Amino acid sequence: MKRIFPADELARDERFVRANLMDRLNDPRSLDQSGGADAEAKGSPGKKSGGRRPMTLDRPDAPDAARGLMHGIFMGEVQALEGAGRTCFDFDTGTGRDEAPFELKLDMARQCWDEARHCEISVKLSEWMGTEPGEFSESTFLYEAACNPDPVLRLTGVNRALEGLAIDVFHTMREFGRLAGDPVLEFCEDWMLADEVTHVKMGSDWLRKITADDPERQKNALEFQRVVDKLFSLGGTRGESDDSPIKLARRFRELAGFTDDEIDEIAGLSEESRAEFRLAQDRARQSADATV
Amino acid sequence: MADPNKPRGAFAPWDRRELPGAFDVAESAKRVGHYKWIEMRLFEVLGGWVATVPELDVKLRLGTHCYHHAWHAELWHKRLPELREMNPDRLTVPPNEELVAFVAKLSEPEAPGLTIEKLVGAYRVLLPHLISAYTYHRNNTSTITDAPTIRALGFALQDDLDDWRDGEMLIQSLLEDADEVRRAANWQAELETLLVAAGGIAGPGTLGHPGARTADGELHPSWASDARSEEVKP
Repeated sequence: MKRIFPADELARDERFVRANLMDRLNDPRSLDQSGGADAEAKGSPGKKSGGRRPMTLDRPDAPDAARGLMHGIFMGEVQALEGAGRTCFDFDTGTGRDEAPFELKLDMARQCWDEARHCEISVKLSEWMGTEPGEFSESTFLYEAACNPDPVLRLTGVNRALEGLAIDVFHTMREFGRLAGDPVLEFCEDWMLADEVTHVKMGSDWLRKITADDPERQKNALEFQRVVDKLFSLGGTRGESDDSPIKLARRFRELAGFTDDEIDEIAGLSEESRAEFRLAQDRARQSADATV
Repeated sequence: MADPNKPRGAFAPWDRRELPGAFDVAESAKRVGHYKWIEMRLFEVLGGWVATVPELDVKLRLGTHCYHHAWHAELWHKRLPELREMNPDRLTVPPNEELVAFVAKLSEPEAPGLTIEKLVGAYRVLLPHLISAYTYHRNNTSTITDAPTIRALGFALQDDLDDWRDGEMLIQSLLEDADEVRRAANWQAELETLLVAAGGIAGPGTLGHPGARTADGELHPSWASDARSEEVKP
C-alpha cells in the first residue's frame, strides 16, 4: 500500500456521488428557497444572502437544508476518519520533520475511533431526519487537507481548521435541535461537539509541541490553517453575524486551545470571505443582466 | 464480628497464584517489545486501509479496531520501562526479518476490490497469532511477579477476541462464491507461511514450541519453562 493516498482514490460504494465544493454548496435543496428576510431582494429567493441563511424554524425549507447539512457532516466524518487513519500509516514513527511522533500517532488512532463513532451517529441521525448516505453529493476538501506531506500541516489544516469548523457546525446544529424541539438531534450533536473539542485541542497541543523550537515551521503551519480557515468560511457561511448560517462557537474554541486573538482572526477571515463572495455574486448578477 | 487481631495469610484460601513463571524480566521485556512493534504495525495498516475499502461497515470497523491496537501498543510502551528497559525504542523491534517480510506482505493489498485480502490478513492470520501469543504469555508468566503484564494482556485479549469475531463475521459476509473462498484461503496460506517462517509474532518460541531455538541456537528459554519453574519454586 502506498503512502499518501490521493483524494480521487477514496473508496466508496455505488451510492456516493462526487462533486466539487461549489456545486455541492449550490445544491438547490440546501439553499434558502424561502426568501425570508431577503424577500425585498426581488428575483430568485434568498438572493441577498446568496441562498444561505441561518436554519431557523420560519424557513419552510429548513428540514431539507438540515438534511443536506447532516449529509455534509456525515461525509466530513468519513473523510476525517480516513485522514486520521492515513496519518497513522503515512509517516515513520519519530521526531524528524517527515516523521510523526509515537504519541501523535496514538492520538490519530484515537481520532479514528471517534470519527468512526461519529459516522455511526451520523447514519442513525440521518435516518431519523429522513435522509440516507448518498442522497446528497460529496466533495473531498476535508480529506485533501489531510494529504499534506507535513504532519504538522495536517494537524493545523484538519484538526484546527476543519475540526474547528466542525465545532461551529455542531454547535449550530445542537442549537437548531433545541429550537426545533428535537431531543435526538440535540443529544447527538452535543456528544459529537465534545469529541470535536478534544480533536481540535489535540491539534493545538501538537502544533505547539512540535514547532516549539521551529518558528518557521510553525509560521507555515499557521499560514496553512489560515488558508483552510478562509476557504472553509464558505463565502461567509460561517461567521459571527446574526445572519450567518453557521455561528462561530467562541466558547468551545477557547476550550479547544484557541486564543482570543486566533478566534478574532477567524472571525475576520469569515467577514473577508463573505465580502468577497457577495462581490462575486454582484458581478455575476451584473454580467447576467448585461447578457439579458 | 471478625476479630481484628486474628492473623490471616497474605493469600486467601481461594487465591491459587504461584511464584514460578516461564519468563524472567529480560525475556518478558523482550516479548513485550515485540508485541509493541507488531501492534504498531497493525494499527498503522488498519488506519491506512480505512480510505481504501468501499464497504462502509468495514471502513468503520477498521477505524475502531485501529485504536484498539494503538492502545495496546501504548500499554506495552508503558510497560517496558517497568521491565528495566528505560529506552523503550531499543526493544520495539521485530524478532527477525521474517516477521518484517510478513508485515510487508500483509500491508500490500490496496485496491478497493481487495477487502477480502485485507480482512483475511488481519483477522484470519495476524489476530489469531496475536491472541495465541498473548494467551501463551498470560498462562506461563508468573502470576505474582508479572501481574502488571498479565493485566495488560487481559485487556488486549478482550479487545482482540471481540475484534477477531467482528473481522471473521465481516469476512463471512463478503464471501459469496467458491472463487472468493479460494481467494481468501490462498491469501491466508501465503501469509501464514510467512508468519510460520518468522516463528510467530515473538519469533521462535512464541508459543514455547518443543525444541524452539533462539537466534543464537540456544534452547529457547520458554521451552525450558518447566525446569525453570522448579528452580524458582520456594
